[in-house]
Amino acid sequence: MTRRDKWIPYGLVAPYILHFAVFVAFPVVFSVVLTFHSWNIISPMEFVGLANYTRLFKDRLFWQAIYNTLRFLIIHIPLQIVIALALAELLNRTIRGASFFRAAFFLPVIVSGVVVTILWQQLLGYNMGMLNRILTAISLPRVPWLDDPTVAMYSIAVMVTWKNVGLYVILFLVGLQTVPVQYYEAADLEGATSWQKFRFITLPMINPTIFTVVVLSTIGGFSLFIEPYIMTEGGPMNSTLSAVMYIYRQAFQYYHMGYSATLGFFFALLILFVVAIQKRYVEQEI
Amino acid sequence: MHKLLPILLILLTSCENRRTDQALVFWCSNNAGEIAFAKEFTERWQKQRPDKPLRYQPIPEGQSSEEIILASVVGKTTPDIYANLWQGLVEMYAKAKVLVPLDTLKGFREFLNTRCDSSMIAEITSSDGHIYQVPWKVNPIMTVCNTRALNGLQAAKPPYTYSAYLEAGRQFKQDKNGDGYTDQWLGYTEVKPIWYQRLFNFYPLYLAASNGAPLIVKNRAVFNNPYAVEVFRFLQDLYKYDYFAKERLSATRDPFLAQTIATQFTGPWTVGFLEKFKDPGFAYGTFAMPVPDRHQGPVYTYGDPKNIVIFNTCRDPQAAWEFIRTLVDPPGDLRLMELTGQFPRRKNLDTDPYFAGFLQKNPLLMPFARQTRYIKGVDNCEVIVEVFDIISQEYEACVIYNKKTPEDAIRDAAQAVDVLLGN
Repeated sequence: MTRRDKWIPYGLVAPYILHFAVFVAFPVVFSVVLTFHSWNIISPMEFVGLANYTRLFKDRLFWQAIYNTLRFLIIHIPLQIVIALALAELLNRTIRGASFFRAAFFLPVIVSGVVVTILWQQLLGYNMGMLNRILTAISLPRVPWLDDPTVAMYSIAVMVTWKNVGLYVILFLVGLQTVPVQYYEAADLEGATSWQKFRFITLPMINPTIFTVVVLSTIGGFSLFIEPYIMTEGGPMNSTLSAVMYIYRQAFQYYHMGYSATLGFFFALLILFVVAIQKRYVEQEI
Repeated sequence: MHKLLPILLILLTSCENRRTDQALVFWCSNNAGEIAFAKEFTERWQKQRPDKPLRYQPIPEGQSSEEIILASVVGKTTPDIYANLWQGLVEMYAKAKVLVPLDTLKGFREFLNTRCDSSMIAEITSSDGHIYQVPWKVNPIMTVCNTRALNGLQAAKPPYTYSAYLEAGRQFKQDKNGDGYTDQWLGYTEVKPIWYQRLFNFYPLYLAASNGAPLIVKNRAVFNNPYAVEVFRFLQDLYKYDYFAKERLSATRDPFLAQTIATQFTGPWTVGFLEKFKDPGFAYGTFAMPVPDRHQGPVYTYGDPKNIVIFNTCRDPQAAWEFIRTLVDPPGDLRLMELTGQFPRRKNLDTDPYFAGFLQKNPLLMPFARQTRYIKGVDNCEVIVEVFDIISQEYEACVIYNKKTPEDAIRDAAQAVDVLLGN
């Protein structure tokens, strides 16, 4: 091995190391340092010790944003899994136009989130929205889809589910197609019902897929931002204010970079914790 | 390696942000009127002062001019002069020491005294006693009314007191298609809890009710008073009785021109729009903001002031000030009005003979010109955005959703602002 050959491996990994150092390692370390500082971008940083952490625990709006995000996840994840699995089951059977339906379900996934959100905003408007116009036309009362603090998060969860369900249908479909047909044939010989086959063959066999879907939905749900930002600005009465939106607001509306980094750091730990619990639960239960 | 050198060179030179020419750089707003204004005055300056080269540039495109300015401050790529800075942000930049204290420049104080009255000067003086902004232009927020529609009602005519306005709302509100829901309202004003939206509903009404009282004095919230409570109650009633729409009315046409609403709180920019798109026979008038029934004295409003600043990256602040002076002397102010339809922030605008010709030619702008006597900006407070955000939260809970009494909402907002200010 020549002296030049010895350096080739280092040269080959250097671009990745450089990318990692600049875009991952440095921002992470810098954010941790920021959590101990007060900084509004334009003035010099000021060391504040643990003040940002103490503030976090007293910040009622942040905890409401966390609560809202968890509420969103509780509505969104089961809805996403049930609908995606049901659609995948249907598409897994020999039905006419299966390719068309696969493409149709996937279409919203590739449409810009902003476009989808604006469309749904038009659909869900109280006075001008198409949904309420239909309700009025059939003599049903209008629903304040986005204007009632108790309803708005459900509307957003349904919209996000509609947008993302196509991706999970494809994932489930892949999972379902890996289940060996011999298991079902054996179950048929034993006289198992459709539900029994689903419960005792399909679900355990697609367990890894379910876990993937749960984790992806959870992380996606935790990063809820575009939809409430465009549709409701976090309202009504902060009922759709997500944690990411609140972190964004602290950083780019008030320029509280130190506090915002603290919220982000705490939030990342929370996501890690929730995903770890999910992993344990999903592996044990199914 | 030698092949990579030109690429590295290009990358390095493109990263170079220092200006190589000696010209002063003047950033203007990027609307057509203000670009024409900047171009005209820059060309004039270049002819008069070839020894002090200067070029104008519309502010780079971005989500908002505030974000662009912040990015340029952080990247130290600020222009020498920026015209169009919202008054509420000046204090933050002043405290960060990125602005030139203009009162240290020769001729500034004398000029300011001829242009502005003492209350205006007090309003723009920073907490450290220096002045970092040239008061430039304003757009007073007023009530524009569909006079034909409102004159047909039995209610009192504008300008309105709260009870007359509510009565007009009661009479004007209608369910035209009989589906059981209102589809014609007295007005609409943005309901979202976004801080700057309060500058166009709560704040002008508060200034009108209180004869221009501040929100913050000596780092303390001073708006827990009957005026603010009354404004919240008035707005709450407008929504409670469905006189104001809660939803943005942006179907196919402007709701005011479509007569879906009959009043709006807006600035002089609306006049150009209405004149361009109104139907034949559509009549409207501009009036002061509604006031409490027992109100006495002049009716103040929010002036939406945008001012001119010099950044401390400027190598020749005196020359920059001399250029700014050409923008804000009487000929500069007149051209501003002619080219942009906006108003200069100067005393006695409506009675100054120098501007009389323009106002006679544009009578629809006259009410706004008169209103410039009674306008306020925002208080000099580094966290004014958060102050309005706190008010917005309480506004939503009380005014829009009726979940709090006006007294509780204003008290809670004032307490939260005091906590924010460290009291």
